Amino acid sequence: MPVAAYQWSLIWQNKELLGKGLLVALECAGPALVIAILIGLLLALARMARPPLTWAATVYINIFRGVPALVSVIWVYFGWSLLFGINFTVIQAAVIALVLLYSSFLAEIFRSALLAVPRGQREAGLALGMHPLRVFAQVVIPQATRIALPNVGSMLIGMLKDTSTFSVIGLAELTYTVQNIESVTFQPFVLFTALAGVYVAAAFVIDFVFRTIEKSLTTPPRGLVSGALTRRRRRRLESLVERLETAVPVRS
Amino acid sequence: MRTLLRDTPPGRVASRAPAGDAPAPTMSPAPSPPDGESRPSPALRGDVVVQLSGITKSFGTREVLHGVDLTVHRGEHVVIFGPSGSGKSTLLRTINLLEVPDAGSVRILDVEYGPGSASDRRRGGPVELRRLVGMVFQQFNLFPHLTALDNIGLPLRAAMHLGRSEAEERAAAALKRVGLLRWAGHYPAQLSGGQQQRVAIARALSLDPKIMLFDEPTSALDPELVGEVLAVMRSVAQSGMTMVVVTHELNFAREIGDFNVFMDEGLIAESGPRGFLDRCTNPRTRQFIAAVL
Repeated sequence: MPVAAYQWSLIWQNKELLGKGLLVALECAGPALVIAILIGLLLALARMARPPLTWAATVYINIFRGVPALVSVIWVYFGWSLLFGINFTVIQAAVIALVLLYSSFLAEIFRSALLAVPRGQREAGLALGMHPLRVFAQVVIPQATRIALPNVGSMLIGMLKDTSTFSVIGLAELTYTVQNIESVTFQPFVLFTALAGVYVAAAFVIDFVFRTIEKSLTTPPRGLVSGALTRRRRRRLESLVERLETAVPVRS
Repeated sequence: MRTLLRDTPPGRVASRAPAGDAPAPTMSPAPSPPDGESRPSPALRGDVVVQLSGITKSFGTREVLHGVDLTVHRGEHVVIFGPSGSGKSTLLRTINLLEVPDAGSVRILDVEYGPGSASDRRRGGPVELRRLVGMVFQQFNLFPHLTALDNIGLPLRAAMHLGRSEAEERAAAALKRVGLLRWAGHYPAQLSGGQQQRVAIARALSLDPKIMLFDEPTSALDPELVGEVLAVMRSVAQSGMTMVVVTHELNFAREIGDFNVFMDEGLIAESGPRGFLDRCTNPRTRQFIAAVL
């Protein structure tokens, strides 16, 4: 078939379906990322704790880092229904499958990020009389977040791509939509190229969002967003300094 | 050992021994104090603030402290020096339980925090202890994600439960005290090492500790920045703060040290009051002082 016969116009004609498919994929990957971050953090802490916990976390992490997304979603959707009689909707099954897989990857990302925060930071917080939990939340976590963030962005892109296998349970996400269009138009090359294009475009957007967050977390914060967010605070600081500078010296 | 030889009252800073007059160690017998400096003056001695007794600590199979005793009185400035690996930092860190001793007793202001005591097993015990004890680290350990002001403000809010504006006021006052108010909005990465250490000292002081620990506070600094940090420490000493300082700055030690401790291989090899650096008798101590000065 000559190139001219490719109906590239199909992409534009189906833009709404493609958009809807992407939206469904994001509806799975977005919530899954939030839940996977929480569970991943707990897993990372468990793996850094004492033996019984460490073993359990290690086993979990290694199982789910090894399981393909396709298998994971089949287990959740069909397996749980057969074994426990729990029937999930396709969206629920997709989210749970992603959480199972990606919490294990995120656990390792968080573990390395937590270990990358110098020991002295925690010691300084403790030495200042802060409660260990507050030291963790306000000293260690903010620094570990900055270290982990680029990898978390990669995980979200990975999750989005893994939703493509969920057509197997009939989730009407992007790949499923494209397969449907293809089955009536017989234009696989055009449609799957378009499919790749949409995933890549989404990857660029996710990268942009995460880099914006990253910039605002650098010290001093960079970028327009953080500039706007910290402007009020900076003005308050300046007035505080101004007032004290002009005040009578506290000590000679 | 040390109860016999007490000397300079708290807060007094020696006017003698300007920097650089380090005498070469001589083999002459320990001279008698020239100006009565080591005369006991029990009336001027403060209450006991820190009492360590029989502290032992091992890392793995290696015991780094073999049963160390140390008493620090109110307003006293204790200087600990000695070679690397002698256990001086570890000893200092047992005072605020950053290192929990394997055995022995840690008493701060008549409350027991050692490994055998009930208070240590009570959750929150170390947290209470650390609210009485400020610490300054060799590597400053400022929080890199916070401004100088917030570095001081965070513990004020988190440990002393002050409100935001009150914490900021106090943090700003603390920065002013070390001459860094203009840098309040700067992040640690934007400050010199000396400035960072001054912020760290201000941070520890802002919590109104009863005792300040300094763990080689100038060892990570460029030589030209050491002076500004020592100046701040000198003013802290003059304010009457109880201090325990681990340092290699022996001229500074001579200046502020009311009680000097030489540690070697996990034990206090020799210790003495003001003037000790010029009068010590232990050959190992003299050898060390000669090598450092």
